Amino acid sequence: MDPSAINSPELLQFINQEKERAMINEMVAKLTTVCWDKCITSTPGSKFSSSEQSCLSNCARRYLDMSALIMKRFQNMQ
Amino acid sequence: MDSFSSPSSGSSSQFNSDVFKDQLKNQLAQAYAEEFLETLRAKCFDKCVTKPGSSLSGSESSCISRCMDRYVEATGIISRALFSGPPQ
Repeated sequence: MDPSAINSPELLQFINQEKERAMINEMVAKLTTVCWDKCITSTPGSKFSSSEQSCLSNCARRYLDMSALIMKRFQNMQ
Repeated sequence: MDSFSSPSSGSSSQFNSDVFKDQLKNQLAQAYAEEFLETLRAKCFDKCVTKPGSSLSGSESSCISRCMDRYVEATGIISRALFSGPPQ
């Protein structure tokens, strides 16, 4: 086996891309379960109401805002 | 990029980059699918089967079906809000 094939820059870049995709997937999955619980309070219907839709969308964005806020405050705690 | 070209070398002990990449992508896709399925089971059981009976009723079944569609839709809404929504 030729060991240098594993360390090719192309392969390393591929692995990093898949790592990033996995992180994104994880973030979306986690936020979806959290926001589903917050926003979909009744039995699921055949479509979302517009308030359910905006709740889900707002939920994701406010989570990002909160995340930025926490980072900022945490740095001030150091 | 052709992901389905056969290995250029005949020896099975030779490291083949394309095969490795395919296998990695397949295993990741499988892992994502399993995690998603587990979430669907948990959420839809919670919403639709509130008092388990001796079998799944018709309304429980259609609820589960709608729940799956809604959850997939919710995933899309969240994904777009995170990555391509208008700046808030």
